[in-house]
Amino acid sequence: MFHNSSHKRFWIFKSEDELEHMRCKANQKFRNKILESGKSGANESIFLERNEEDVLFRYYERRMLDFCNAFKPAMPKSVVGTGIMYFRRFYLNNSIMEYHPRIIMLTCAYLSCKVDEFNVSSTQFVGNLVQESPAGQERVLEQILEYELLLIQQLNFHLVVHNPYRPLEGLLIDLKTRFPTLENPESLRKSSDDFLTQAAITDAGLLFPPSQIALAAILNSALRAGLNLESYLTECLGLKGDKEMLARMYDSLRRIKILLKKYELPKAEEVNLYKHKLERNHAEFSTSSNKRKRGYEEDGHVAKEPRLTEEEWTDEDLI
Amino acid sequence: MFGFQLSVIRLPCIPVPHLYKVQMDDQGCPRCKTTKYRNPSLKLMVNVCGHTLCESCVEMLFVRGSGNCVQCDTPLRKSNFRVQLFEDPAVDKEVEIRKKVLKIYNKRDVDFSSLREYNDYLERVEDIVYNLTNNLDVENTKLRMEQYQRENRDTIQRNKAKLTREQEELEELLLLEQQSNEQRRLDVLQEEQRQLQAKRKNKQALLDELEQSQLPATVLVAQHKVRAAQLETQIEQQKQVVKPTNIFSTGIHMRQTVSLQAVPRLEEVLYKYQPLQVQTYGPPVPELEQLGRLGYLNHVRAAMPQDTAGGYTSALACQRAIQDALSGLLLL
Repeated sequence: MFHNSSHKRFWIFKSEDELEHMRCKANQKFRNKILESGKSGANESIFLERNEEDVLFRYYERRMLDFCNAFKPAMPKSVVGTGIMYFRRFYLNNSIMEYHPRIIMLTCAYLSCKVDEFNVSSTQFVGNLVQESPAGQERVLEQILEYELLLIQQLNFHLVVHNPYRPLEGLLIDLKTRFPTLENPESLRKSSDDFLTQAAITDAGLLFPPSQIALAAILNSALRAGLNLESYLTECLGLKGDKEMLARMYDSLRRIKILLKKYELPKAEEVNLYKHKLERNHAEFSTSSNKRKRGYEEDGHVAKEPRLTEEEWTDEDLI
Repeated sequence: MFGFQLSVIRLPCIPVPHLYKVQMDDQGCPRCKTTKYRNPSLKLMVNVCGHTLCESCVEMLFVRGSGNCVQCDTPLRKSNFRVQLFEDPAVDKEVEIRKKVLKIYNKRDVDFSSLREYNDYLERVEDIVYNLTNNLDVENTKLRMEQYQRENRDTIQRNKAKLTREQEELEELLLLEQQSNEQRRLDVLQEEQRQLQAKRKNKQALLDELEQSQLPATVLVAQHKVRAAQLETQIEQQKQVVKPTNIFSTGIHMRQTVSLQAVPRLEEVLYKYQPLQVQTYGPPVPELEQLGRLGYLNHVRAAMPQDTAGGYTSALACQRAIQDALSGLLLL
């Protein structure tokens, strides 16, 4: 249940500004770390700016979505949603310059398969990297398993994510039961689903409870179909006497819609440019991850032989 | 790696006289080669030398009452053969020897002035037993025993007498106990018989009365019942009287005064149940039982019979969806 979950308590944030602030802090933290370590070649120009990070982030998120949609056996929506939520939560406190999103996104997807009870074996999972040779898949798998613990730790062990898909079903059932005025609620499903898919790759999940996102999806698709559901809100959801609550409710729904509208696909030329920068960055400062690995081994967490080469495969090979 | 220095632990070499040589399958008569395996009823006998022979071989070889051991040529008497009790005949031999030695070495701790001396004495006894069992230095040991016997003749005799006296006392005690047990049993038996007789007499009286009396049968039967009940209570009372009851089964004496002061009462605020209040940040969710009545279940897939085996109902899924839909809806 959402109302007493870690999702509500720790991963619903006040505003977009707060999110932006956290991401800036993560970016700054990484810069400071590198600058303090006094590495050669560490000057401001090599770092990614926040907006550049954002472009790359959206790009990799898109790739993750594509990977999940092409996954065989077909991945349930909630698994995809959970995975993307992990991805977003992870990069709230970490910079993509520190941990390469290429591997984090796969780790997120892998972890969400486990958490959401979508049972695939690890070899089956990397088997979906169809461009990779079996040896390459093996390497990726090793990396995934290595980063998995880090990911879980960075998620603060809050692994249950409440997706808006079940609330959507619940609202549809409720509509059919309590709001017979609406003639064909099923007709709203298609566009509502699309809305939620869109919402998944925005910050909506970090700002609003899943039920509100689902309601926004329904209201939005009703609006498109030229239906008015205001009486459902007032009569059935008990908002009649509470003008203020209703207003605030509409406000959140509006904000969700704006979030969706604001979303734009990353431009290819920008992506290529920044990706280049990112690779250079990682080539330069990749020791950070090595340090982490060694730390794990000392603790006895990971007892694997040292990985061959970290950056042997590129994300061009994905999918 | 930590530098572990492994060292071979040397165990003191204790001579173990063919203790592990004897095994189940070759436990048999050395003369006729019959084994326990082939003849489960085989009875092995041991004599003082510690060598085995089966019963039939003993019968055959020692017809005249004496002869020599087949294995070690020790002169033996037939009457000294014992049934082998232990798997290893050496143990039988040792038991036999120990019995003999202890007949002579029968001093007790009270005969010594210090524990140290007593322990030394015991040690000597063990040495002798060990030597005789393993045929080490037999002549000297025997000489030592004889010498000891000569020197301590008085003590040995005295101790022997004492031992027998103790034995007698013990037996007497046992006899007494047995007698009292028997007495108690007889008492109980007598008592039971007496009761039985009383009952029978009562019954007979009823029959007589029914035969002769003018009163209606029901009245007589009722009277009889009353009498029978009285008899029962009498018997019960007797039974209780028989046992001297001045002690509870817990071991507390009946006359013991027990403090009757009340246990101090704890003054505390009583626990009061309060129903669980959960803030769902949303409109109220209908109860599971009411989903059907409110018509929610018409809009979800009905559960297949095979789904319901594990306790699933469509209402569960339906309520979960609605709960999720309404939870946090008004969270701002």
